[in-house]
Amino acid sequence: MVSPQSDDDLVASILRGDEDAFSRLYDRYRGRIYATAYRIIQDAGEAQDAVQEIFVKLYRSLPEWNPRKARFSTWVYRLAANHAIDCWRGRRRRLESLSSSSSDDDEFRERQIPDAILTPFGALEEKESIDQIRSCVSELPDLQKKVFLLRYFQDLKLEEIASMEDCSLGTVKTSLFRATHAVRRAVRKAGGRR
Amino acid sequence: MRKTGFRHYSEEELLMHFLQEETEEVGQEISVHLRECGECDSIFKEYGYLVGQVQAWRVPEIPESVWQTRKSRLLLQFREDLERSKGRGMLSSLRAAIQSAWDYALEHPLPTLGYIAIAIAFALERTISTFRLDRVLPGASDVFEILRQVF
Repeated sequence: MVSPQSDDDLVASILRGDEDAFSRLYDRYRGRIYATAYRIIQDAGEAQDAVQEIFVKLYRSLPEWNPRKARFSTWVYRLAANHAIDCWRGRRRRLESLSSSSSDDDEFRERQIPDAILTPFGALEEKESIDQIRSCVSELPDLQKKVFLLRYFQDLKLEEIASMEDCSLGTVKTSLFRATHAVRRAVRKAGGRR
Repeated sequence: MRKTGFRHYSEEELLMHFLQEETEEVGQEISVHLRECGECDSIFKEYGYLVGQVQAWRVPEIPESVWQTRKSRLLLQFREDLERSKGRGMLSSLRAAIQSAWDYALEHPLPTLGYIAIAIAFALERTISTFRLDRVLPGASDVFEILRQVF
């Protein structure tokens, strides 16, 4: 039986050109990177493409990872979030240029529906709040969005995020609070409509 | 936005308390306060509920076959990149060596200047005859003598 290797060991092997180590790293992180990318881009197909690009970026920039500065996972999530935000911007620009005609709005809705169907929520109310959360998150400023997603979904501590983003802990706390507060307002508003 | 009063904690502090992102001491103070203050406690619970709602946001699942196909493509690209980088191996080693020397020089300017002075003195003494240099720079042999005494 092969014992599970630590991230650091896998990285060292990849830097020596070990393809098998890269394959294992992919299996270990693909799901979490996809989840981060999906929640930012909010399109399953584009999130999968982003995962592919993130992994290419990852192995090309592996020599830049400094283990004394951040855990490997923290570094990876930051890379993923930054890349996904770039993809989201591109997608948004495309959608904005298309949104001039109503048929394009229909196309946008069609692209959103499959994800919503795939999301396993029985209760309509729950689905509505998730929709509110999704649309609110997509409008958050970059730093707030990153902090929000990395704290709530990747369980990174705020101190880690602060050191990764090269900003103060206070800035990160405020960003998370503002993002959460905005989401709270959006969910409340949705609740008030029902 | 809720005001931070004498008795109450701000919403930001309550959220950080829910996420256990404050110091242990502050955490204990807020826990005691929440047992006594219904207003703060209800906001604290509301944030707890909200975080639960947020974390219920699932992502569409990707079939394993799709992951495997994508992985094969990625590994192929990895292999190709590796082959290409082997060709650039010497150049990148040289670049890395220059980069690390530069980093060292920036971090330790005084020892670096010392090394440079030693290298110049060594090179001058070994490679340039004082006779020829004296013709270009009168008095250079005196400078060499001083450098010789120093190093």
